[in-house]
Amino acid sequence: MTDKPSESDKPDEAKKEEAPAAKPAPAKPPAKPPVKELPKPVFNEHPTHPAYQGRASRLLHANRMAPNRVWEDKWRLPRYRNGAIMLAGILGGLTVGAVLIDRFGMTVWMKLWNTLFAVLGRVAAAAGASADSVAAAKAFAETSPWIWSPLKVILVLHVILVAPIFLVWWERKISAHMQSRFGPMYVGWFHGVLQTVADGIKLLLKENIQPASADSWVHRLAPAVVCFPAILAFAPVSFGGDLIAADIDVSVVYIFAMAGISVVGIMMAGWGSGNKYSLLGGLRSAAQLVSYELPRGFAIMPVIMFAGSLSLVRIADAQSGTWFGFVPRWFIFYPVVGQLSFLIFLIASVAETNRTPFDIPEAESELVAGFHTEYSGMRFSLFFLAEYAYMLLACLLMSAFFFGGGNPPLPGLDFVPGWYWFLGKTMALVFLFMWFRWTFPRLRVDRVMDLCWKFLLPWSFANIAFAGLYLLF
Amino acid sequence: MGNYFSTIFGAFTAILKGMSVTFKTMLKPATTVQYPTEKLVPYEGYRGALLFDADTCISCNLCVKACPSFCIQLENATNEAGKKIAKVKWYTIDFGKCNFCRLCEESCPTKPKSVWHSLDYEITFFKRDEMVRCWQKGFEFIGKYFDREAKEFKKPEGQVQIQTTQQRCQY
Repeated sequence: MTDKPSESDKPDEAKKEEAPAAKPAPAKPPAKPPVKELPKPVFNEHPTHPAYQGRASRLLHANRMAPNRVWEDKWRLPRYRNGAIMLAGILGGLTVGAVLIDRFGMTVWMKLWNTLFAVLGRVAAAAGASADSVAAAKAFAETSPWIWSPLKVILVLHVILVAPIFLVWWERKISAHMQSRFGPMYVGWFHGVLQTVADGIKLLLKENIQPASADSWVHRLAPAVVCFPAILAFAPVSFGGDLIAADIDVSVVYIFAMAGISVVGIMMAGWGSGNKYSLLGGLRSAAQLVSYELPRGFAIMPVIMFAGSLSLVRIADAQSGTWFGFVPRWFIFYPVVGQLSFLIFLIASVAETNRTPFDIPEAESELVAGFHTEYSGMRFSLFFLAEYAYMLLACLLMSAFFFGGGNPPLPGLDFVPGWYWFLGKTMALVFLFMWFRWTFPRLRVDRVMDLCWKFLLPWSFANIAFAGLYLLF
Repeated sequence: MGNYFSTIFGAFTAILKGMSVTFKTMLKPATTVQYPTEKLVPYEGYRGALLFDADTCISCNLCVKACPSFCIQLENATNEAGKKIAKVKWYTIDFGKCNFCRLCEESCPTKPKSVWHSLDYEITFFKRDEMVRCWQKGFEFIGKYFDREAKEFKKPEGQVQIQTTQQRCQY
């Protein structure tokens, strides 16, 4: 067992020399004519093509691919070991970075801020203004909501708009590895991280084509109607500490209301395209989204009942602390009720975001691409953006509702900042979504509806009753 | 009622099983390669582009007769008296017709084989002339093609990339 892999790890040259010696020698070797030397291996490398630059070309022996041997001893593969080390390094680096930012970020920021105003004061003094006016401007900038609110909004907005770039790449990598492929590898310095950026630039440069049979205004308006509620719905999500665009008391209701508006946009896209597949996709999407709103809403009723608030921040705060010193007081750890409501919310969220077990609105094998068949260029990518933004939103909600928001999973881990835990839990849930997508086949349309109305909805009602019993006793 | 819950339990375990399969596959190394920069050398016995050695060929015509798609042609060399000798004057393989079946290599009586398959799977042509590979005395194993416009033999440019060709059968 231990000898076998080392043999396969030998370099190609050694193998070539062994091969002729292993062959049985003929009984009577004839006089061999002088054998001409074959030319050395040649690669048809392109001298200027960027895909070939700085990459070592090599020949790989086919037997390296024999799956049973490769998979038996995967830890002996240097590529596999390096990958594990890299993953551990990324996670550890992120944690250390988060702790450092939490410790020293504010100090560094304040230092930069003071330096900025010192420079401004010097400029102002040179221009003839008094030092008091600069100090007043600094005090205004530090206290006025007119400065800080837009800054916070811009920061939160960037989380939404930049996250899909990462998520699309991540999804492509995960799907590739679940299918024993590599996925994007060329664009960017590390495993094709810039692939989505390149695709985005490509989509920006593409023409927006409108079919002749399209309803012009509806067709044009639909991507915006899908996209803007997705961005608005992020307003009450707390990214940790003060970083929240709008701290409203009924944020749960607000988020669900905003997410509901997108259905209108999808319907508009389906109708406006003037295409039967798009129309079918839009109608299916409307039916599915409206149906799954109900179990999704009822699934978090127990959480709201336990927390006694509709604000995301307060729901997350209600889950701090531990039972028996080590079990965190997250809602998912409430026996039966927590798990049940989490599962219902998870399934309904997957259906709400039109992802694969429930992707009947854009079923590729039936409806080409559903409601966004006729879209191209940046309008198409707006639909994509909205889809990934909703996925991120669903995961943020789940980590706030059921996984304690910014509360650490173990009591001793308080030194890591809350926003790190919050985003880490969110990313783990995003991975769960992608895992679902690349594992399950698509449900039939009537089965989707059956699951919603006959299974999820009754159980979510029962769950509310269970939660009531909990609160009663 | 019991049936209802057992159905739910069965569906749940099936879902978890499927998810465990995809998760395990995700942790396994990929089986594909990055083709333009990483190239697989095929298994021994792969039937790639044909190579020919004009020095060992005895011009016995067996490969011509064995070829099912009639893509091989050859002509005997002659001595000063005009008599045929057991050497080849010219030998051509039309890769436009060739179906890579190894019958020519199997029928070849010489030791080592005069015509044999390499491991090259990247054989590509840009002109019809390039498809007809020609060999004469002193040509490389890979041969040349006759350019009818330039009226001369030309080397097939960038043709054999996987040049760890199969060990030529020596017996």
